[in-house]
This record gives sequence, structure tokens and C-alpha cells, in this order.
Amino acid sequence: MTLQLLLVEDDAAYAAALADELRGIGHTVTVAGDGRAALTAMNEAAFDAVILDRMMPRLDGMSVLQTLRSGGMTLPVIMLTALSASQDKVEGLEAGADDYVVKPVAASELQARLTAILRGRGWTASSADTLQAGDIVVSPTTFRAWRRGRPIDLAKLELKLLIELVRNADAVLTRAMLIERVWGYDFMPDTNLVDVHIRRLRRKLTEGGDDDPIQTLRGIGYMLRG
Amino acid sequence: MKPGLRSLTVGFLAAFLVATAGTGYATYRLTIGTITDLVDRRIENVSALVAADGARDGAPVLLARIDALAGRRDTGDIGFQLTDAAGRRLGGNVTLTRRFSPGYSDVRRLDRIQGLTAGRAFTRRVGDGLTLTTIAETEPFDGYGGVRLRIYLFGYGLILVVVLGGLIVFGRTIARRFAATRRTVEAIIAGDMQRRVPVTGAQDEFDSQAQAFNRMLDRIAELMAGLRNVSNDVAHDLRTPLARLRSRLTTIAAGAAPETAVAIDQAIGECDSLLAMVAAMLRIAEIETGRRTAGFAATDLTMLIGEIGETLAPVAEESGHRLVVETARPAWIVGDARLIEQALINGVENALRHTPAGSRIVMGTAIVGDRAVVRIADDGPGIPAEQRALALRRFGRLEASRQRPGHGLGLPLIAAIMRLHGGELHLADGEPGLVLGLAFPRDADDQKRTVASRP
Repeated sequence: MTLQLLLVEDDAAYAAALADELRGIGHTVTVAGDGRAALTAMNEAAFDAVILDRMMPRLDGMSVLQTLRSGGMTLPVIMLTALSASQDKVEGLEAGADDYVVKPVAASELQARLTAILRGRGWTASSADTLQAGDIVVSPTTFRAWRRGRPIDLAKLELKLLIELVRNADAVLTRAMLIERVWGYDFMPDTNLVDVHIRRLRRKLTEGGDDDPIQTLRGIGYMLRG
Repeated sequence: MKPGLRSLTVGFLAAFLVATAGTGYATYRLTIGTITDLVDRRIENVSALVAADGARDGAPVLLARIDALAGRRDTGDIGFQLTDAAGRRLGGNVTLTRRFSPGYSDVRRLDRIQGLTAGRAFTRRVGDGLTLTTIAETEPFDGYGGVRLRIYLFGYGLILVVVLGGLIVFGRTIARRFAATRRTVEAIIAGDMQRRVPVTGAQDEFDSQAQAFNRMLDRIAELMAGLRNVSNDVAHDLRTPLARLRSRLTTIAAGAAPETAVAIDQAIGECDSLLAMVAAMLRIAEIETGRRTAGFAATDLTMLIGEIGETLAPVAEESGHRLVVETARPAWIVGDARLIEQALINGVENALRHTPAGSRIVMGTAIVGDRAVVRIADDGPGIPAEQRALALRRFGRLEASRQRPGHGLGLPLIAAIMRLHGGELHLADGEPGLVLGLAFPRDADDQKRTVASRP
């Protein structure tokens, strides 16, 4: 998947490094140094997604986002911020950002989040009561899960984890994304609690002798094969 | 060695007593001496009136003069006795029981002269073998010596009482002010950099001392803040290169042979610990700005520890620990649930890190007065009382735990979160083990509800 990305970041060195990384995984990246330059760039060319620094001179990230959304531009926006203050996050998401990450962020993390956003947009929320990925079916409303039609007995957290994996089947979920979405934390615990819960989930999914549907991506995260 | 305040006080008191007693004695001697002189001169004069020097008037004339003088108002209190060469009494208005040698002598109660307790006698030869003794009292009335003693005791005693009282009040005042300073110093040592020595507003030496001391503390706090800013800036600037290093390692690991990949994984793990430390530092800095109070809402601690239990019990199980969550009544507070979760997770992670496999970690809530308290107790080795202040300090890792993973910011982070909530973090002895007490101010509405529901 090659995306046309606009990276809006006033720290030139950081922007160059991140752009290089993103190009390294196959994307086309345009860099804008401030909010005005970003709006100009978006008038001149079409982008698949915008990575937007929150704090910038000459029109900060929040103003750019508000201008975009009030102008009816719905393209995905990931906000970058230096601090993890949850109030910032709430404001950013309320202003219409699709995701919010704390700097510095690895290209792999951005990639996983971009994929999740783009896939999420394809979902129609009311399409079904259940979600499916391969031979796994989960019901977020009744909190139940099946593999090959056989019910799996899962703890609440394991089920939330599985729902997230199924929803993003064939896409990478980083540990940070899982911590945010399954646990709702805005910090990374020191212990490997994501790995522990994934291990438990894996054990229960493979109890019936089925193969392991969860792939570990070393240093990045996990992916459920669809 | 310089004398202490106590021995200085005792020494001063002793010197004061000696000086007082000395002054009293000297005054007494001087008064007695003066009176004796005066009386001596008087009886000598009167004696001369009876018989002038060198005159040989004979006994009858002398006795007649004595009678005249004894009848006069100004010499009526003088006693006279005239004796002949054989010592026989020839006359006079007193009768002496012993013989006085010529010159001055003391007269006492023993001499049994009526109406006289103490006095002076002057004896001289007045020609023809005759001897004349004149006597006068040195006391204006009987028992005057006792009165004098009482005057001295009362006068100097009063001075002594005033000085003693003054010493005690003075000593107490000094001790109280020193104690206030000492309490501040102890609070500062314990990590409460906000504490200052109380200033009474009396504008005295103590106040200027306290103000100087407080200015010093302000300056230290300023320097510490400066240092913290520098370390926060360093942490901030370390994040980007660390993240880049991590992502490089991840890329290399993806294409590496399995045995190399394991080593790279370890390197990624090291990167993650560094990033975690940096994140914790910046998190503390973020909390200390106080901005997070904007997101405060009513939160039930009992529900939170239940959720933390679900999250961490499997983690504890993998490392051979047992995490138990005690059920309890709801404990409502007003706070930032995300931050409190972080504090609780840090507390349990701290217990997991510092106790051996097989240890039990118990989490529970309790209402203690106006506080809602979360207890995280383990039965591990605990922290000795004298090292608890160090454990709360940033990077203040105890010698015993240096070899274990962790960045030394776990407890300081909890303490910062507690301060933001107007609560405090207590470390206590679990006998055995360590007990973390996270005491939050209770939600006022919850307090009302509980009071209202009491029978």
C-alpha cells in the first residue's frame, strides 16, 4: 500500500528523519514546515492522509485541523504531540483528528495507525452484530467469540483484545495501539502486559488443536491473520 | 567542646546564686558595721559627758551625772554602770553580770540586761580606780535580726524567682523556635520541598533567622527546579534518537537470522527501558504542571483496583506471584482515572519487581476518615524505615534493588500523582513486606451519602 502523505512538522531535522523512514516503507511524503504551508500544499495536491504536528509557529496544528474540517475535507489526520497530556488528546480528537500520537513516533507505528484508520473508514458500523476474520467470529454486543463455530470461553480483557485484532485483521496493531484501545491507558506500563494477555488469548484460541492465528511482529506488535 | 545550652543555663544560675548570696552577705556586714560604728561613737561621746578625759571628779559626782543623763530624752536609752577598783558596783541604771575589759565589747542576750538583745559596751577608767561602762542597743527592737533575714530572703528571693522564670520562658521560646526549624528541616529531608519555617511577624531575631533560612530554601528549590528542567530537556531530546535507534533495530531484526534476532530483541528491550524511563520523567514533569486537574471527575477506587487486578493478575501469575484484590465498598474520589490507574499499575509493578517469586500482593481500598485509601501490600523484603525517603526520591534506587530492572521513578511518579490529587503516598512496614498507602481526599458527595445512610 503506497500512500501520498503530507507531513506537517516545524522541526526540520525530525521531519526529514521521519519522512525518510516513511519513504523507506514505500510511501510518498511531502513535508510542510508550518500550518500555512500545509494548507497551501493541500490546495495544490491531493493526499491520502496528513500527519500533523500540534505545536507549530504560524498556524498551529489545531487551527489547521479546524480549517480542514470546516472546509469539508475529510481526509485522515494523525496528530503528533510532544506531550501525552490526555486533555490535549481529547481536544485533538474532538477537533476531528482520527488519531493522536506522542512524538517521537516510529514509522512502523504510524504505518499501523494509518492502516487502521483507512480500514476503519471502510467499515459500516451497522452492517452486522458480529465481526469475522478467517474462522474466528466475535460478537461485541453479546461479548462472545467462536472459532470454527465452537464457542471460546474468554475473559473480558481477552475478548476486547480479540475484537480489536479481528477488526484490524491482516493489519498490524502495535502494543501502544492495543494499550490505548483495549485498556484505554494513555501511558505504557513497564510490564509486558500486552504480551501476557496475547499469550493467554493464543492459548485459548489454539485449545481445539487449531493453528495459531496471531502473528508476532518483533518489536512492533501483533497481527491476526484473516 | 563548646558548652551546651543546658549546662550554660545551669552555670549561669549558679553564678547568679553566688552573686546574690555574696551581695546579701556584704550588705548585711556593711549594715552591721555601720550601725556598730555609729553606736560606738555615741557611747564614747556619752561616756565623755559623764567623765571628761583626765578629770578626777570622784564617784558621787559621776553618779549624779549618770542620773541626769539617764533622765534626758536623747540619752535615756543608754545604760551606765560605775565600779570601783575592786570591781564592786557603785551605781548606774544597769547591772552587769560580767566584767568588761577597757575598750569596746559586744553585749548579747546572755548578758541578761533587761530589754537588750544585742548592743555595744564602752568601758574606760575614769580616775581613782573607777571604771565606767556605757551600753547602747544596736537593734531598734527585739528580733530585728530575724526581720532582716526575712527582708533579704524576700527581696533576693523575688529577684531569683524573676530570673528563674525569665530563664525558663526564654529557654522555652528558643526551644520552640528551634523545634519549628527542625520540623521544617526534617520535612525537607523527607522530600517536602514546599515546607518553610513559620515566621511569627514579631520582626525579631528569630524572624529574621527564619526568613534567611526560608530564602535559602527558596534558592535551593529554584536550583532544583533548574536542574529538573535541564533533566527534562535532556529526557525530551533523548526520545527522538532513542526512538530512531529502536526503529532501526526493529528493521534489522526483521531480516536477521533467528539467533541474531534474539540478541537484537534484547537490545530493543534495553531501548524500551530507556524510553520508559524518559517517558516516566516527562510524565512526572507533565503532572507537576498541574494541567491534568482539568480532566478530574468522580472516580471509584474500588472499581479501578478491580480492573487493575484483571489486567495484572495474569502478569503476576507468569512471574510466579499472586495478586489478590480484596472486595470492598465503593470509595469515591475526584480525580483523573487514567493517572490513578498509572499510579496503581506502578505500585503493583513495583511490588512484582522487588519481591521474589511466590510472594503475595494484596490490593484493597478503605475509607479512613476523610481519606479514601488504596493499599498495595506485599510480603516481600520491604524497605527499612530509614531508606523510605530515599525510595521516594527520583532515581533514588536502593542498593539492594540496583541489579533489578526498573528506572527508579516508579514511586516518585506515584507520589507526584498523589500530590496532584491533594493526597499522599505512605510507605509502611507490612511485617513482613512493604505497604504502599495511596491516600486520596474523599469525594465530598460520597462523604455526605455515607453520613446520610448511617442509622
